[in-house]
Amino acid sequence: MTLKTFMSRSPLSLKNVSKSFGGKAAVKDVSFTIRQGEVIGFLGPNGAGKTTTIRMALGLIPPDTGEVKLFGEKPGENAFGRIGFLPEERGLYKKQTARESIAHMARLNGIKKKEAFKLADELLDRYGLSEAKRKKNKDMSKGMAQKVQLLSAIAHDPEFYILDEPFSGLDPVNQRVLEGIVSEIAGRGKTIVFSTHVMEHAERLCDRIILMGAGEVVFDGTTEMALSKAPRRMVIASDDDRLMQTVSPFAEEVDARRDGGLNVILKETAQSQAVLERCVAEKIKLTQFEPKQPTLHEAFVALVGDDVRADMKSEMSEDLAREEA
Amino acid sequence: MSVLPAVNLRRTFLIARRDYLGYIKTWGFWISFLMPFVGMGFSIGFATLDVELSPPRYETILDETGQHAEGILALHEQKQTRKVERFLDDGLGAQVMSEDQRTSVRETLEAEGSEAAKAKIEQVMPSLKGQLKSLDSKINFVAPPAESLAESQAYLKGESLLQADGKARALDGLLYITQTKDGPKAEYWSKNINASDLKNLAANYFESLAETSYLAQGGLTPDGLAEAQKGRLEVSSFDPTKVSDDTTSQAVTRADKVPYYVAGGLSIFLWLTVFSGAYMLLTSMLEEKLNKLLEMMLASTRFSEIIFGKLLGVAALTLTAMAPYLLLMGVAAVGIALKGDSEIAQALAQSFTPKLLIFFFIFLVLGYIFYGACFIALGALSQSMQDAQTMTTPIVIVLTLCVLVVPLGLNSPDSPLLRLASLFPLSAPFAVIIRLPSDPPLWELILSAVLLGLLSLGVVWAAGRVFRYGVLSGSGMSAVKGWFNRTVLRRT
Repeated sequence: MTLKTFMSRSPLSLKNVSKSFGGKAAVKDVSFTIRQGEVIGFLGPNGAGKTTTIRMALGLIPPDTGEVKLFGEKPGENAFGRIGFLPEERGLYKKQTARESIAHMARLNGIKKKEAFKLADELLDRYGLSEAKRKKNKDMSKGMAQKVQLLSAIAHDPEFYILDEPFSGLDPVNQRVLEGIVSEIAGRGKTIVFSTHVMEHAERLCDRIILMGAGEVVFDGTTEMALSKAPRRMVIASDDDRLMQTVSPFAEEVDARRDGGLNVILKETAQSQAVLERCVAEKIKLTQFEPKQPTLHEAFVALVGDDVRADMKSEMSEDLAREEA
Repeated sequence: MSVLPAVNLRRTFLIARRDYLGYIKTWGFWISFLMPFVGMGFSIGFATLDVELSPPRYETILDETGQHAEGILALHEQKQTRKVERFLDDGLGAQVMSEDQRTSVRETLEAEGSEAAKAKIEQVMPSLKGQLKSLDSKINFVAPPAESLAESQAYLKGESLLQADGKARALDGLLYITQTKDGPKAEYWSKNINASDLKNLAANYFESLAETSYLAQGGLTPDGLAEAQKGRLEVSSFDPTKVSDDTTSQAVTRADKVPYYVAGGLSIFLWLTVFSGAYMLLTSMLEEKLNKLLEMMLASTRFSEIIFGKLLGVAALTLTAMAPYLLLMGVAAVGIALKGDSEIAQALAQSFTPKLLIFFFIFLVLGYIFYGACFIALGALSQSMQDAQTMTTPIVIVLTLCVLVVPLGLNSPDSPLLRLASLFPLSAPFAVIIRLPSDPPLWELILSAVLLGLLSLGVVWAAGRVFRYGVLSGSGMSAVKGWFNRTVLRRT
């Protein structure tokens, strides 16, 4: 398969895309390609440029520079009906019922009237919203309304799903239900890109992570690769006073715990096994030795934390300079 | 590349349908839809139940001079007689009663007075009973309840009651006439300080008294003056452009003015459609912007489809809201055609020429698109209802000024200002319609339509840009100001 054929088959590809608002760069030289069937976590702190990138990907706003291809073509008519998009900010027509909302969006995406209402009823039954079928959107709880909006976005069974912060504002029970919906869609081999702040969801659902910070892609790889970027931590404890001195050469950071143990963040080159071996060699009797599994949250903080801090600092300096001027 | 924005008709229809049904489901729509029927129901109810909206006042004349009360009552009866005559000659009676019926009423009027004439009308044409209320006198004269003003005060205040028409009533007003050394003096007493019918009647009486006295100095009488005026020269209007076989039938008749009133009515209808439709578009756009639904829709529809869908949906809604008024107008037109003056009915039918209908349709569509797109753009730029209201004020002022071309067109259809207004796109839709009866050159009408069409296209394009910018950047006027500063003023 040639690169050109691959690009044309991929649901979405961005090449050196940049966008500024009011002279301020929101997205800088972003490039990535999404392959068919992938489930991608599109992560990043607030203001990292995720929503702007998604809007450019859908053709809602044009990039200043660079190229966006949706299903191998410039975003537009070609993609209508093939995408299920759930925007970050939510809303439904207040006076429509749940089934009317779902059917309306399905019809806009090319489904015939009768089939659209049938689909709406099926989806509402399947996801436990049977009682909301004829309920007006204004009378629904936030969780219910959010599920209805997600169903409106996916009712036409698109090839490619773009879900911007689908879990935000939901209670844990509804988050779990929504996660189930996303898993079920992914199980059918559909391509999904979703942005989230809740790393646990990304960890459980994604094959690949694209992490943005200050308008740039700071990481693009598998979840395992992302986890490897997280600092490795361990908890170690002993009644022996030499423990701190023995652990220090391996540690980036050591904090004393209330129970007398130590929280250790290992240096990049250090291994927890080596710490254990050194303690054994020094005949330090350990009461606790617990290497911690890295989390995506830690990887996220490690990858974008400095960028975010640097970005905030630079914004503050710019504001100060403006005020002084 | 096509100049017209690309649209998918199915999606446009779906957006139009949703907007239409969204409004149809509101209480406000049904209240305004049923309003004319409710109003008509009330009118019929009042007429049937004989409800008095403005009941006659029971008033009296206390004339201490003994010289004027009779004259004032005679003047009152004279005015009532004139009312009946006008009803028979130019009013509803002239349109619906036969010549024989009118003659018999005139005879009764002359012999027995206005009250008897009204009874006669009701007798020969009972269906006119409700319409005769307009002929009723607003004053019911009663005999003075007391011999002095001081004694009458209790009746005026309602502390004492008098008997009139079988009921005990307060005295609503009293005209008190006394003689002073300088001549007669008249005072009008009433609890209702705004009441003026009897006061005006007395003023008219004393005016005619002064006139009679003045004429008498020269040996003349009011009747002699009236007789002399009967022989005055009548000036008739003629229209040289009126198609006729001889010049005498080129005289301007009431029927000749009908097309101007029809055009004025259509112009006002167009203005109402544009005005109410544009406001609905503004609120609909703002609601969806605040709802954040647009972004989701934009993943499966074009900007142009949303704009045209909204324009179409609200246009259908406006026409539905106008349907009761159109229906009632239709019923009235049929009524006039069947029972009314055949000359007027014929003129009414002839007013709706193909030219008028074609240009009315063209300018209704273009005017609606132009103003509708402007309001959509403003809705997209607004962040709240307050924003929307302040931003639309200038355009509402323009729209209101534009409707002033209607009276101008009725009084001076050949005015250069009207001609200019018909070429100026903002006022063109209203000005062109009102000019049509005076048969302006076709090239001017076409030029006006082309100019408005081009501007409408430009506004739709600009509304699309503003829409994209306003909705998706989530910003309002500040974003436009920022763009203006950067792009036009080159300020960073």
